[in-house]
Order: sequence, then C-alpha cells, then structure tokens
Amino acid sequence: MATTTAAVTLSSDLLSDNISVSASSTLMKAGTTADGLDQIEYGYIDLPTGDEYDLIATTPTAGKASKLYVKNHSTDETLFISITQNSQAIGKLYAGDWMFIPADFHDAAADIAITANGGTIEFCYAIFHEGTTLLAT
Amino acid sequence: MATTCTISVASDIAPGFAGINETMTLTQAGTLTDIDSTTGFSIRKLSATGAVDLVTMANELVEPKDSVAAKIYIRNIGHKGVIDKSAGVTIGINAEPIGKLYGGDWLMMPLTCIDADDITANPENDSTVVLEYMMFYEEA
Repeated sequence: MATTTAAVTLSSDLLSDNISVSASSTLMKAGTTADGLDQIEYGYIDLPTGDEYDLIATTPTAGKASKLYVKNHSTDETLFISITQNSQAIGKLYAGDWMFIPADFHDAAADIAITANGGTIEFCYAIFHEGTTLLAT
Repeated sequence: MATTCTISVASDIAPGFAGINETMTLTQAGTLTDIDSTTGFSIRKLSATGAVDLVTMANELVEPKDSVAAKIYIRNIGHKGVIDKSAGVTIGINAEPIGKLYGGDWLMMPLTCIDADDITANPENDSTVVLEYMMFYEEA
C-alpha cells in the first residue's frame, strides 16, 4: 500500500496565551482504512498574469479523497494567486502562502482555477488522488 | 511569534518525490504585517446529514475584512477519540462543495470572508463526528 502522511502544526499568539495545534493524517482512498491514495501529480510552474488557468488538466475521479496542495513561491508580498472552483472564489494566496484542501472535483466544471495578480508568479502544486485513467487522444 | 503554519507531507507514491516541508507566516494582504484577528479555537459536533454553517461570516462579532488574506484550519477529529475514516464531512464555501474531510483529515484554506461565502459542513452519514476549526482574518 502506498503511504502518504500530511502533518500540520499551527501556532498563534493572537489569544491571551499561545495556542499550538499539531495533527497528522494518513491519506486514504475514500471511505477506507485499507488502502492509501496511490496517484500523484506535482509541478513547479510560472503563472502569467492576464488569464485564469485550470490547475488540473486531467480531472481526477470525482467524489474521491483527493487532496490538493498549492504554494505561492513569490517573494514579493504584493503578488497573489486567486483561487476559484466552479466560479466560486475560494480565496487568495499571497507570497509564501500555501493551502492544503480536500478536492472533490464533483464534475468537469469543478476544476480548481488560478489567476496571478500583480505579475508572473512561480508556484508549486501537488495533488494526491486515486482512480485516474489517461484520456484517449 | 505571530501566526505560523507548517505543512509536512511524506509519500512513497512516486520515486523521487521529496515531500513537502513549508512554513508560512500568516500576514495581512499585500504586506509583511502579521494577521490580526481570529475566531479562536472551536469545535462543532455533527450527527446527521445536511449542510450547516460552520462559520457564518455575517455573524462574526469582529467583522472580517472582505477579499484579503484570511485562512481557515479545519480537522475532522472523529468522536470521543475514535477516528472513523468512513465518516466524511464535505466542506463547502457558499453553495460550492470543496471536498470531503474523512476522519483525521485536515485542511488549511484561504477565504474571501464575503458575507455570502459562509463555510459549510455536510456529513455524508449520521455517524457522529466533531470538527475542530479556527479562522484567521483581518479586521474590517
């Protein structure tokens, strides 16, 4: 079985005492403890301004347990990536920001789309998924 | 200290994949100034199917600023110490389902904080699950 673990540590001093949360999860196929996610796509790409782009070219199987990671690698704090799904704005990733989300891809319109704002942005992404087959030419 | 978040992903799916180890400091939009507001840490118990608001933007007592650098952390922590990988909860924004957190799974996601863009949670079955969550945002 392929094994993928995703851990997070979150620390903040915004409350009267420091708060710290640590968690780890083994990424399994949808609804099972027997088999881990076994497919991956990842890349490091320049994102030019001016257009919205689908981040995932081959849509992984919908309704599964896919996880998506995206990081804005810009060092200019004014540059940000807008993230949308199915025309619904999710949010913005400023320089150095990353996100890690479950991705449902519930239909062909539910690809994650990204737009660079302020200039060309280097970003990286990884998607961990299951059940994708190549599309015939 | 500010607010920081570190992700570490290790995987043996593909030979040569070196993993992910990244730390971000949560800042206000377009600046190096630390993010300044949070909902604090909360939990929500769910025991039936049907979408509920996890965060209702218009109800936040400290109003979030729209369309900037907000983030939310959410984790499905199971129930009473039992993590059930078959008990998934679909997290959504407004009417759009984003994806499903199975037992133990977590997310860190940017947000718009626009009033219509509430964060929803919809369990796939009637198993009891608890979500822990914390939103960070800029004060309007």
